[in-house]
Amino acid sequence: MNIFLASLAFGLVSASVLAIASVGFTLQFAVTNVLNLAFAAVMTASAFVAYFFNARGVDIWVAALAAVGMGAVLSVLLNRFVYSPFQRRGTSPIAIVIVSLGMTLIIEYGTQAIAGPDNVSYRMNQGPTLAAGSFRLTGAEVAIICLSVVLMGAVHVLIRYTRLGKAMRATAANRDLARNSGIRTDRVVAVTWIVTGALCGLAGAVFAMDAGTFGATSTDIFLILILAAVFLGGPGEPYGAMLGALVIGLATEISAAFIVSDYKDVVAFVILLAMMATRPSGLLGAKV
Amino acid sequence: MAYYVTTLLVYGGVDIIACLALSQQFGIGGVTNFAFIIFQAAGAYAAAALSLPPDSANGAFQTYVGGLQLPFPLPWIGAAIAGGLLALPFALLVGKRLRGDFAAVGLLVTAVMANLLVTNYRPFLNGDAGLALVPAPLSGHLDPESARYQWGYSAVALLLALVTYVFLQRITRSPYGRTLRAMRDNDVVADSLGKNLRSLRTQMLVLGGAIAGLSGGVLVGFINLWDPAAWGYAESIVLFAAVIIGGVGNHRGAVLGAILVPLGFLEATRYLPPVGGPGLVPALEWVAVGLLIVGFLWFRPQGILPERRRRLAAAAPAAPETGGPPAVVRRLPVAATPEVVLEARGLTRSFEGVKAVDDVSLAFARGRLTGLIGPNGAGKSTTLAMLAGTLAPTGGTILFRGEEITRLPAYRRARRGIVRTFQLASEFKRLTVYENLLSAVPRQRGDSFRGAVLGRRYWRADERLAIERAEAMLDRFGLTAHGDTYAGDLSGGQRRLVEIMRALMTEPEVLLLDEPMAGVHPELARRIGELLLGLCADGMTIVMVEHELGIMDEFADPVVVMAEGRVLAEGTMAALRARAEVVEAYLVG
Amino acid sequence: MSAETVRGLAVGVHELTAGYGGSPVVHGISISVEPGRVVSIVGPNGSGKSTLLKAVVGVVEVLDGKVHVGDRDVTGWSPENVARIGVGYVPQVDDVFAPLTVLENLEMGGYLLPQRQVAGRVEHVLEVFPRLRQMLKRRAGKLSGGERKMLAMGRALMLEPSVVILDEPTANLAPAIANAVLAEHVRSLALTGASVLIVEQRAKAVLEISDHTYVLAGGRLRMEGTPAELAASEEFVDSFLGGGGSRAPISRDA
Repeated sequence: MNIFLASLAFGLVSASVLAIASVGFTLQFAVTNVLNLAFAAVMTASAFVAYFFNARGVDIWVAALAAVGMGAVLSVLLNRFVYSPFQRRGTSPIAIVIVSLGMTLIIEYGTQAIAGPDNVSYRMNQGPTLAAGSFRLTGAEVAIICLSVVLMGAVHVLIRYTRLGKAMRATAANRDLARNSGIRTDRVVAVTWIVTGALCGLAGAVFAMDAGTFGATSTDIFLILILAAVFLGGPGEPYGAMLGALVIGLATEISAAFIVSDYKDVVAFVILLAMMATRPSGLLGAKV
Repeated sequence: MAYYVTTLLVYGGVDIIACLALSQQFGIGGVTNFAFIIFQAAGAYAAAALSLPPDSANGAFQTYVGGLQLPFPLPWIGAAIAGGLLALPFALLVGKRLRGDFAAVGLLVTAVMANLLVTNYRPFLNGDAGLALVPAPLSGHLDPESARYQWGYSAVALLLALVTYVFLQRITRSPYGRTLRAMRDNDVVADSLGKNLRSLRTQMLVLGGAIAGLSGGVLVGFINLWDPAAWGYAESIVLFAAVIIGGVGNHRGAVLGAILVPLGFLEATRYLPPVGGPGLVPALEWVAVGLLIVGFLWFRPQGILPERRRRLAAAAPAAPETGGPPAVVRRLPVAATPEVVLEARGLTRSFEGVKAVDDVSLAFARGRLTGLIGPNGAGKSTTLAMLAGTLAPTGGTILFRGEEITRLPAYRRARRGIVRTFQLASEFKRLTVYENLLSAVPRQRGDSFRGAVLGRRYWRADERLAIERAEAMLDRFGLTAHGDTYAGDLSGGQRRLVEIMRALMTEPEVLLLDEPMAGVHPELARRIGELLLGLCADGMTIVMVEHELGIMDEFADPVVVMAEGRVLAEGTMAALRARAEVVEAYLVG
Repeated sequence: MSAETVRGLAVGVHELTAGYGGSPVVHGISISVEPGRVVSIVGPNGSGKSTLLKAVVGVVEVLDGKVHVGDRDVTGWSPENVARIGVGYVPQVDDVFAPLTVLENLEMGGYLLPQRQVAGRVEHVLEVFPRLRQMLKRRAGKLSGGERKMLAMGRALMLEPSVVILDEPTANLAPAIANAVLAEHVRSLALTGASVLIVEQRAKAVLEISDHTYVLAGGRLRMEGTPAELAASEEFVDSFLGGGGSRAPISRDA
């Protein structure tokens, strides 16, 4: 029971980090139609930008804003100069995935070339520990959970109640009709890259906080968790991604407590492949 | 110096073998296997575990399973088998249901995960540290350190590369290779022509896996060690870069790509003087690989050596003059009372709760050309797709010659003689017109892995008959001049003809045509109609969705009118014109 | 009709050639829609009716000729920009945002309006199509065919368009509902003051609501006239039924 409670706490933190990334990823895919596997690489690059400021004495939560900016800018550039030209030319989805892998190499190892091959850590105050029995969370972890919950609420408000969010959903559902309604879908797509890129950058920063140390290729495995969460909920389904992140985050950490922690990600992997083999549209999915 | 050259040669041989395998999977078979490198790794580990002594023998300095100390060449054979066996579970991902890009993502993730597991679990293959002191082949008899051994090893590696090249060319140039390329160009259509996608793709995964495994075995025998760092997921991307740069769909391109990218580019830079901080050069290498992929896909997506058009003249000698064109269809006796060949009972299909086809019951009699008309969205194409098996019904049953086939997949229906065409252009673009037609011929001797391996001698006679039929068909449709043209380069009307001809090449018992005359010149449409009637007289059953009522008047009997997913009426056009509800729904409104 | 006289019309199409991937589907077609009129285009399937509409709203490439909306030359404009100058377009399929609710669909139709005007405009559309009011919270994908078409038209009305362009609004509708769509909904559209350009397969029904009708076959204009003129023409019936010609025309009283 103690182990369970402890791992439950870890799981909540993991799920929180994962939710930010997964919702960003799935929203990006829904609206832009790009299966952007370079998402995790953008996370890393953004986490390093936060590190750059943090190492120079900026508080990590302030430096995280730089990561947010980096994620947004890098994502917009990716779309503007890479994905969008390929899409306009009618490149097949599979070739776009290959392009995104090429971009993964460029971004990840470009980051490594600049930042060096060593793993780094943020300097941060973990804050007072909250404990209820063996259920323990540091102040920073509580902050991550709260941030994630607030962001999920914000995404909900964005896509349900704002003009922009509804335009994003409309563009995802039927791009031609959106254009016929006067919506400048290329702008909506561009804004989607900003929003999801910002989520991606933030996810990079909180991932790095949660991981403790990180390097340029640290998010390779995390990409599996993102994909598992996204496919569990259904590709392109933001609420599905939230649910998926919760399930995957808890499942990996709780299984880590009872199996060997080295293999905790296997759970996510198995869920991902099982979903792909049996129900590719996910639990909540329609858009496949 | 000799050591440097032989190392390059062995790496070159290994890279060529691996790139050829990937070229076969990806360039010919259209299977995007981002986990490719784990098959090479499986081969390397297998060869190591088979040739190493039991792990207790070296004082637990490394732990691993196996340790069988098998003599050469068993470790290499084991390497190929391990690579092939590892591919089998992925059959689950490559059926028809999962989008190609999603399946590719699944494979990529598998590669990352496999590396993680092997890295973390030491008892299996010594974890992170990997296996060292792998015995070189024949090290008991020869001195692996000697220059002669090194040169010999290089020669063997290159010879294996050559054998792989010849073997894969043999497969690719066969009817089987044509089927693979057809599947690559349009899998749904290949399925509808009787090609078993899952089986073909699994064959590609297993074949590619086995060859990749062999390449791993050859490599580990030379470098004598193997660890997880050697097969990160990104190594697969390097090989993809090689195949894309060399030329997708061209094995020579794969050889060139192997020499240029993994060998030339990466090996060359490995000997650059260290610039900047530690790890800078390797990091920049990866960046360069990424840039090469994106750059080539943008500026020259066909690669340096593009796929070559396969002209028929090169594939087989011209057919001898024969007396009259061969029959297009098996002649079946026409029974006195019309026999129902295909029947739908209560067929229903809903999309998100909306019923596109609602309780449709139809019977199609042998030797009749049944027309299917109705306003747009009436469910005609949906009905046709369910009859052909490309779409699963949500309710009802389908009977073919009295036997239920409701759950039978499309390719198996096609093999039984139910073949469809598509409303949208569905030619195999990078196959010539001839190849499009030949790809549809059922039961070809060369259209299986075994047949392809047995070689041209085994299937040549069979192929010649098929070519004769294709020639007669082209003649009949007036497309003889375009036989060696890429189908993707034809005009819209010509492509429709290719599709009809291709369907006829399967010698169907039931032919399902979805707007076959759209975009076809009226004169030609009439000739096609007459041809179809001729086929019906020979016992073929045809169901045709068509908007052009003139065509229906002339050729179809009976005609079924659908509206809102239901059958509204059935009869001759003349009879239908007299019925108020039909006229109301469709003709004049 | 010269390019100059096209000005001043709600929609003026002058010798338009358009098609997909550079190959023309419609050839040299000229039509005009005068303000406040209902103009219909009929013809057999595959005659290029839909392609013509798509070229007008910017979805299909214009290869030659001109398209004017009001006084503007909109030839080659993007669909967004055509929508922005007051052209509402209801495509034949994929005519709603299926995962969005009815209300959200209407809001998306009014995307260009200042935020404070949206609610009022929705109210106005609900007055035109009162039945939509009971289903505001439902997902558009779950509506019946007739309801869905009503929503699609309502969405197109949100920007107070000067022209509404309808591509076969009765496709896939039961005959009774189809007639209701034409007789009531399209008429409701016209009553809002908008000009209506409508493509229909159900010639008889659409003639009843049209001020002027064009007949297309094989990508070319075959006939035009008022409904009365066309109804009197035997050639019209033949042309519409698409070739053959040998059989007796269908009794249109059937």
